Amino acid sequence: MQLVRTFQKRNLLLVLFVVTTVALLLLVRIWYLMVPGAGRLASAAKDLHERERVIKAERGKIYDRNGVILADNTPVCTISVIHNQIKDAERVIDVLCKELALEEAYVRKRVEKYSSIETIKTNVDKETADAIRAYELDGVMVDEDYKRFYPYNSLASKVLGFTGSDNQGILGLEVKYDFWLKGENGKILTMATAHGVEIPDMAETRVSPVAGNSLKTSLDVVIQSYAEQIANKVLETKSAKNVSILVMNPNNGEMYALANVPEYDLNRPYELTEVYTAGLSESELTAAKKTELLNQMWRNSCISDTYEPGSAFKIITATAALEHGKLSTSDHFYCPGYKIVADRRIRCHKTQGHGSQTFAQAVMNSCNPAFMEIGGRTGIENIYETFRNLGLFQKTGIDLPGEASSIMHKKENVKEVELATISFGQSFQITPLQLMSAVSTVVNGGTRVTPHFATEIVNNAGVTIKTIEGTGETDVVSQKTTEIMRTVLEQVVSEGTGHNAYVEGFSIGGKTATSEKLPRRSGKYIASFIGFAPADNPEVIAMVIIDEPQGLYYGGTIAAPVMAELFEVVLPYLGIEQTTIEEPDDK
Amino acid sequence: MSQRRPEQVAEPQQNSKRVPGRLRRAYDFSLLFLTFFLVCFGLIMIYSTSSYNAVKFYGDATFFLRKQMIFAVFGMVVMVVVSKIDYRYITHPLPVIKIRPVTVLYLLCLVLQVVVLFVGEEIKGAKRWIEIPGIGSFQPSELTKICIVLLTAYLASRAPKALNKFSGFVGVLLRVAPLIVLVVIENLSTAIVLSGIVFVICFVTSKKKGYFFVVIGLGIAAVASVFLFGDAFRMERIDAWLNVETHPKGYQTLQGLYAISSGGILGKGLGNSVQKLGFIPESHNDMIFSVICEELGLVGAIAILLLFLLLLWRLFVIAVNAPDLYGSLIAVGVLTHIAVQVIINVAVVTNTMPSTGIPLPFISYGGSSLVALLFEMGIALGVSNQIEYRE
Repeated sequence: MQLVRTFQKRNLLLVLFVVTTVALLLLVRIWYLMVPGAGRLASAAKDLHERERVIKAERGKIYDRNGVILADNTPVCTISVIHNQIKDAERVIDVLCKELALEEAYVRKRVEKYSSIETIKTNVDKETADAIRAYELDGVMVDEDYKRFYPYNSLASKVLGFTGSDNQGILGLEVKYDFWLKGENGKILTMATAHGVEIPDMAETRVSPVAGNSLKTSLDVVIQSYAEQIANKVLETKSAKNVSILVMNPNNGEMYALANVPEYDLNRPYELTEVYTAGLSESELTAAKKTELLNQMWRNSCISDTYEPGSAFKIITATAALEHGKLSTSDHFYCPGYKIVADRRIRCHKTQGHGSQTFAQAVMNSCNPAFMEIGGRTGIENIYETFRNLGLFQKTGIDLPGEASSIMHKKENVKEVELATISFGQSFQITPLQLMSAVSTVVNGGTRVTPHFATEIVNNAGVTIKTIEGTGETDVVSQKTTEIMRTVLEQVVSEGTGHNAYVEGFSIGGKTATSEKLPRRSGKYIASFIGFAPADNPEVIAMVIIDEPQGLYYGGTIAAPVMAELFEVVLPYLGIEQTTIEEPDDK
Repeated sequence: MSQRRPEQVAEPQQNSKRVPGRLRRAYDFSLLFLTFFLVCFGLIMIYSTSSYNAVKFYGDATFFLRKQMIFAVFGMVVMVVVSKIDYRYITHPLPVIKIRPVTVLYLLCLVLQVVVLFVGEEIKGAKRWIEIPGIGSFQPSELTKICIVLLTAYLASRAPKALNKFSGFVGVLLRVAPLIVLVVIENLSTAIVLSGIVFVICFVTSKKKGYFFVVIGLGIAAVASVFLFGDAFRMERIDAWLNVETHPKGYQTLQGLYAISSGGILGKGLGNSVQKLGFIPESHNDMIFSVICEELGLVGAIAILLLFLLLLWRLFVIAVNAPDLYGSLIAVGVLTHIAVQVIINVAVVTNTMPSTGIPLPFISYGGSSLVALLFEMGIALGVSNQIEYRE
């Protein structure tokens, strides 16, 4: 019998030592994996186990200047299915088809799809959702959600814009201030097995949603709805294509109203209004055609479309001349009914001519030859400098998406003829809003303004977290020029081409404009009027733009009365005091 | 007692010097208890890891637990019975046929290993199981492990001095080679365990150690070459090992790593693993250690490894005190078997080495593996039972 020798015991001790060492090294490896190295792997594991269900954040509300809610939220539900938790697929399909009025094939496809969570329908109203919840079907999830709701339907539709199915802003203020309005979605994280079944009794991680901030705007529901009302009336009586009315505070750029009729229903933004479907048969309304029409319907022409401003632009020409000392109020002009510029004979709208006239009379008459003369004297260098000062080479910066840029001649391309046409508002294009913003600067004493709707962003606690100001550079126009222009433009209304805009008891300044649309001689015009009050210290500026009116198309004839109608209500509403009744008798 | 028989009070000191105490057997109850504990712990973990899949696929949470429990009870009975038999009978020729039982076992294993290659039930691309109607599938390589321990210990203890020379080692190798070669065809990892047992038994027996280091070098080279120049299946495993997070074949290991790393110091608590819920395929098998880490944390993992080290220590004590070299080498073989399996299993689970299928002794699910291990523990306990000492 062999006995165990000492060296053999020693050998075995060596083996045991090696084994123990390796085991300890493995322990170090395990420790490393579990403690310092765990972070990334453990969070990857957590991601693998957790299933995320989003809790939608309530979107911030939009208010008008008096706290009236323009955009609100209404509770709705999202119905979704979790494939692996469905026990009776046929019944689920049956119930969902019946309650949600969906095609069976559509529901079946989603119920039978092997995915972690599949949305069946969003924006389901609460009653239907409660009905579905009452069935207590396994695997059918009913999640609370919010849907945007616009209490005034079509009011200020081109301004407010609307949201998409995920409550994201799509147009208007909704998209411009989406960052502030949207809030932060919360989530419920539940643990699920590899087969996608939620593990009961496992602690759920709940991240609460943060509601969006509210937006206070300068819009006034009263002014806006009145503006829309009279715009619609004109649209109808003049069979126009489009009528816009803009009302703004010329001193700080706060927009009181922006009516751009026809408006559309914000609660049903994807339904074409009758205006757009009229005369179209079902077959003509293809998907592409519908998209095109929807884009037309949503388009805000006051900021997205440019036009030749026409005679209203003479305000700017005169300002440029006055600012550069090329014009004095005592200057006289002679209008024979035309003016020869280079090799051309450019006519005045009054073909028999205005004869001899002062500067003030030239403005009241809206005399083209006089302004060609003024423009010629001032020179393109000076005119363009004033344009730049008044912001005509850039967008106004209004807080709405889709603003168009002006289309101007290159300075080196402006010869005598171009200079002459620019002087009375032709051969270049700007947006109505750009004109209104520029005229505001002229009449407010030379302060640049950025038109804007939003005034304050207020958080859930009611604390203002951001204030939006509209004033910019000051003294871009001298006080003297402002005074002259206010006086002259007041005379346009009290005794000139703008007398149709006269409202008894108020001093109103303004300028008419009639622009022939391109191509010329197509018989399409834009009649407009820009007006402000009180003339000696403007508190409100407004513009009426009638696109393609039928019949009479002169701004002074059809746009100026609209301005009068607007101011008759808006001026007292804004608390602008009536001036001396006898003022018209003065003249 | 002293109060009733005061006359004997003066005697003990004399007695202890003159009269030898009663002859006692050193039956290693601590080893028995350790084994029992590990098996029970294994059953708990098998229930924890397998119940989810058991419900999902068999509609019965205890499906795997009950199967394993039958083997555990049977295995422990076998262990206790075997431990009461004198291990030396293994090398004594049988009465009638005049063949040693160890030789019979050797031949039986050869036959079964050949048979499994032909009639073996193919599971996951490898023929490792023989289907026995009514009992279930049986893995001959588990029997081969017992055989290798007993046979190598026998060969080495018969002529220990021969092992001082390399030729002696080769002689032993040639005798056990047929078994290892038959295993390696279908199951490389088990062959590595078998080679490890043979190697360590020979190493412990030999007075000269020089050539063993050469053998270690050659062995590493051989394993490396199998991996490097072997079939695509093994190449892929290397790739998966190195790029565990991106390689598709690294899925199982990665899921194991997820489990380990989400355990933390104290773990998620027994039964609270998430990775066992379908993420780790068959988490009650070779990957069970990762779920132990997830549920019981670093503390649990350390405890389990310490239990294994304690078990190895008890086997070491038996080997050192064994009445003869044969018994000692049997204990060495069992020790090596458990040590190699624990190390490889933990190394694979922690992605310290390329993936290979080695179960964690006593704990992983698997009937033949558990019974074979308990049989070996029975023999080792049998060796301790033959150690005699006086009180």
